[in-house]
Amino acid sequence: MSNPTSRQLHFNVFLFNTGHHEASWRTASARPADRLNIAAVAEIAQIAEQGLLDAVFAADFQGGRASWLEPFTLLSALAVKTRHIGLIATVDTTYNEPYHLARKFASLDHISKGRAGWNIITGAGNGSHNYSNRVHPSHATRYKIADEFVDVVTKLWDSWEDSALNYDKARGTRYDDAKIHEINHIGKRFSVKGPLSIARPPQGRPLLVQSGSSEDGREQAAKWGELIFTAQGSLAEAQAFYRDVKARAPRYGRNPDDIRIAPGLCFVLGGSDREAREREEELFSFIDKDRAIANLSDRFGLDLTRHPLDAPLNLDNARPAVEVDGVRSRHQLIVDLVLREKLSLRQLIGRLAQGRGHYSFVGTPVQLADLAQQWFENGAADGFNLMPAVFNRDLELFVDHVVPILQKRGLFRTRYEATTLRGHLGLGPVPNRYAATGLPA
Amino acid sequence: MSRHNSTSRKLKLIAFLGWTGHHAGSWRHPSSNPNAGLDIDHHIAEAQEAERALFDAVFIADGDGWKSGTKLEPFTQLSAVAVHTSHIGLINTVGTVYNDPYSLARYFASLDLISGGRAGWNVVTGAHSAAEQFTRGGHPSHADRYEAANEFVEVVKQLWASWDEGAFVADKQRGILIDPARVNEINFRGRHYQVRGPLDLPPSPQGHTVIVQAGSSEPGKELAARTAELVFTAQQTLPAAQEFYRDLKGRLARYGRSRDDLFITPGFAPLIGETEAEARDLEHELNSYVDTRRALDLLSERFTVNLNDYPIDGPVPLDKAKSADDFDNVKSRQDVVLDPARREGFTIRQLLYRANGGHGHVTHTGTPLQIADFIDKWFNSNAVDGFVIEPPLLPQQFRLFVDKVIPELQNRGLFRTAYEGTTLRRNLGLRGTLPLAKAA
Repeated sequence: MSNPTSRQLHFNVFLFNTGHHEASWRTASARPADRLNIAAVAEIAQIAEQGLLDAVFAADFQGGRASWLEPFTLLSALAVKTRHIGLIATVDTTYNEPYHLARKFASLDHISKGRAGWNIITGAGNGSHNYSNRVHPSHATRYKIADEFVDVVTKLWDSWEDSALNYDKARGTRYDDAKIHEINHIGKRFSVKGPLSIARPPQGRPLLVQSGSSEDGREQAAKWGELIFTAQGSLAEAQAFYRDVKARAPRYGRNPDDIRIAPGLCFVLGGSDREAREREEELFSFIDKDRAIANLSDRFGLDLTRHPLDAPLNLDNARPAVEVDGVRSRHQLIVDLVLREKLSLRQLIGRLAQGRGHYSFVGTPVQLADLAQQWFENGAADGFNLMPAVFNRDLELFVDHVVPILQKRGLFRTRYEATTLRGHLGLGPVPNRYAATGLPA
Repeated sequence: MSRHNSTSRKLKLIAFLGWTGHHAGSWRHPSSNPNAGLDIDHHIAEAQEAERALFDAVFIADGDGWKSGTKLEPFTQLSAVAVHTSHIGLINTVGTVYNDPYSLARYFASLDLISGGRAGWNVVTGAHSAAEQFTRGGHPSHADRYEAANEFVEVVKQLWASWDEGAFVADKQRGILIDPARVNEINFRGRHYQVRGPLDLPPSPQGHTVIVQAGSSEPGKELAARTAELVFTAQQTLPAAQEFYRDLKGRLARYGRSRDDLFITPGFAPLIGETEAEARDLEHELNSYVDTRRALDLLSERFTVNLNDYPIDGPVPLDKAKSADDFDNVKSRQDVVLDPARREGFTIRQLLYRANGGHGHVTHTGTPLQIADFIDKWFNSNAVDGFVIEPPLLPQQFRLFVDKVIPELQNRGLFRTAYEGTTLRRNLGLRGTLPLAKAA
C-alpha cells in the first residue's frame, strides 16, 4: 500500500475538444458539439475527480477558429460542478492586462476555494490582427513581457494581506488599511498602482504553470513555474529536460523539489494490445490526409504534396527551428522525432494527429502504468499531462484501470489529502511579500 | 404605440443584488453577512431565489479598479451561477475604456453558450480612477469615451455575427467540422479599433448577448438609441421618468428601430415593511449605521465645498454645487441627485439619507401594497417598462419583495406567472437578433 510520505505521481487532464486525436470527433459515438456543451465538459472533470487526479486544464486558442469555450468562464462553471480537482486556465501575457488577469484568477480561486492555476503562455499564435494591429512581438520580446507581467500579477495577489478584510459592524470599519498595499509597479512595459479590488486568493498564490520549452521558456520555468507542461518525445529527452530545468532553479533562489514536471502523454487504451491497435487504426482512417500534408509542408517550408506516403521523410531542406516564431520547442521535437525513428510521411501524420507531437502511447492499462512508473522513477517526470485520444472513453479507461494499478504500487493517492491545488501537488504556501518585508501601506 | 395592449404588457424586472444591499448602512445591520460576497454558494442561492420569483435577470454592477475586497469578478461569478440556474438572465457590466473588443466579445459569447443564451452586457465606458491600474497616461474625456464606445460596441456586434447560421457543421462522413465559408472575417477598420475576426465561438441560442446601456447623458442616450435593448437609468420623479421615456423612445426611429426594440427600466430601491411604521423603523435604523462624516465627504465630490463644514440640519448649499459639465464621472447622475434637493428644499441630512437609500435611484418606503401601487403607477404612465430592483438590505428585503410584492403584481396581471422561454432575449420579448449597422 501507499506510504503517504513517499513521492507520488501527479496527473492533470488536458481538456480538449472530443479528444486529443484530431479525428476523435468522427468516431461513431463522438458528439462533436459537446466541445461547446458545458454539461459534457463538466462530466469530463467529474470523471477526472473520481480518479483523484490533481487538475483539469483548459488550453487557449486565442484568435483562431478552434471553437472552444473561453477558459475563465469555462473553469468558473466547472468550479461549482466539482469539489476537489484543480482548475488550470491558460491565459497569454501578450494580449491581456495584468490587472484584469490577476483579478479573474483571484476570483476563480475564491469561487473554487483554492483550486485555481494559471498556465502562462506568451501567445505563440499571432493575435495582433484582432487587437487593433499592435505588432505581434518577437519570441524573445514576448518572454520579456511575460516576465514583467507575472511579476505584476503576483504583486497584485499579495496586495491584500490575509487578514486585511475585517468587517467590524460595531465600529463601522471594513478593512485594516495597514494591510492593504499599493504595489506602485512602474516597469518597462507596465505601470500598475494597485491594490487589487479583491482580497488575497485562498491559495495566496494560485498555482503558476509554465508550458514553453524553448531556452526562454526553460528560464521562465525555473524562475516562476511550479508545474511544468512540456512535450517530450522519448525517455532520454524527457530526462535531459527534467535535469536541465531543475538545475536552473537554484539560480532563482528556488528549491528544485518545488517544481513539478509533467510531460504530455497522449494515449489510446485497449483491453489487449490488439484492441488498442485496432482503435488506433480506426482513428487513423478518419484523418484528413490532404490537410495534414498541407500543414506539414507549411511547418517545414517544403512541398510535401508529391512526397510518397510510405517513404522515410527527408528533412534536409526543412526550415530550422530558430526561424520559427511560434512554438519553437515543438518544432524541434518533431524534427528530432522524424530523424530518431526514421518515420515515413504516413507515420508522422499518424503520430501528430494523436497528440500533436506529445508522447504518443497505444496499449493496455498495465503497459501505460509501467511507462508512467518508468519515467517517474528515472528522473524524467513527476507526473503527466494526460491527453486521452478520445473523450470520455480513454479517460474512463485510465481512471478505472490505470489508477488502481498505480495505487497498488504505492505511486498514487487513494484519497484527496488536501483541499487546494497547491496542496494536491505537495507545494507549500508562498509568503506575502508585503507582510514579510513589513513595507508601509 | 406599444404593440401590446394594457393587459398583456408585462413588467420587466431585473434583480440587482449587490453585496449586503443597496443602503449604505446595510452591511452593519445584524442580519447581513458582509463576508458572503466571496462565497459563490451565496450568489447561486440568491440567483435561484430570483429565478423562482421569475425575474428577467440578475445584474452585477462593476468598475475596473474598484476596491472592495469581497467582490468577485463578474464573468467568473456569472459563469458559476449559470450552471446552477436555467432561465434567469445574467447581466454583467463591463467598461469599454480598459478592455479590448475582441476579448470582451469572446467572454460574453462563452458565457452566453454556457448559460444557453442568457447573457447581457451592460455597456459602460469606465471611471477615471481605473487609469492607474492599466498602464495608461490618463483617462479619456467624457466625449472621447463615448465616441470610442460607439465603435467598440459595433466591433463586438460584428464579431458576434461573424458565424453564419449552421457554420458548425460536424459532418462526420465528409469530415467537415466547421464550414469555413460560413465563418467570416469582419475586417473592421475604425478610428479606435482595427479587428479582423472572426470570433472563435459560434452564436448562442439567443443569437447574441443582449445589450444594456446605463448612461443617461446626451451621448449616453444616443448610444442607447443606436445599440441598446435594455436601458438602466436613474429617475427620481414620475415626470422626469416620463420625459426620459418619451425622449429616448423618440430617438429610436432615427436608427431604424421600433419602440419595442428597447426597454427602459430605472433603478428602484423599495424599503418594505409589513406596516408603514415597520418600514420607517428599518429605514431609520439603516441610516443610523452610516458614518455621517465619511458619507458627507463622498457627497461633497458633487460640490465645490465640503458639506461637513455646514450645519447638517441646515439647507443644502446648492449655490456651491458643481454643474453636470464639471462632473466628469457619471454625468447624468449629478442632476438626479441634486434636483430633489432643489425641488423639496432638503436639509443636508435629508439629502444624505436620500443618497444612502438608493445612491441616486428612486426610493420608496412602505408596505408591499404601497410598493406595488408605486410600480403599477409608473408602469402605466408611459414612464417605464419595468424596474431594476435594488433591495436596500439583503437577503431580508429581497425576500419580502419576492414573497409579498411579486404575487401582488401577478394578481394585477402586471407580471408573468411563468417564463416565456429559456433565453434572456425571449423572456424580455426582444427580437432574435439586431440588424447590424453597416461598418463605419
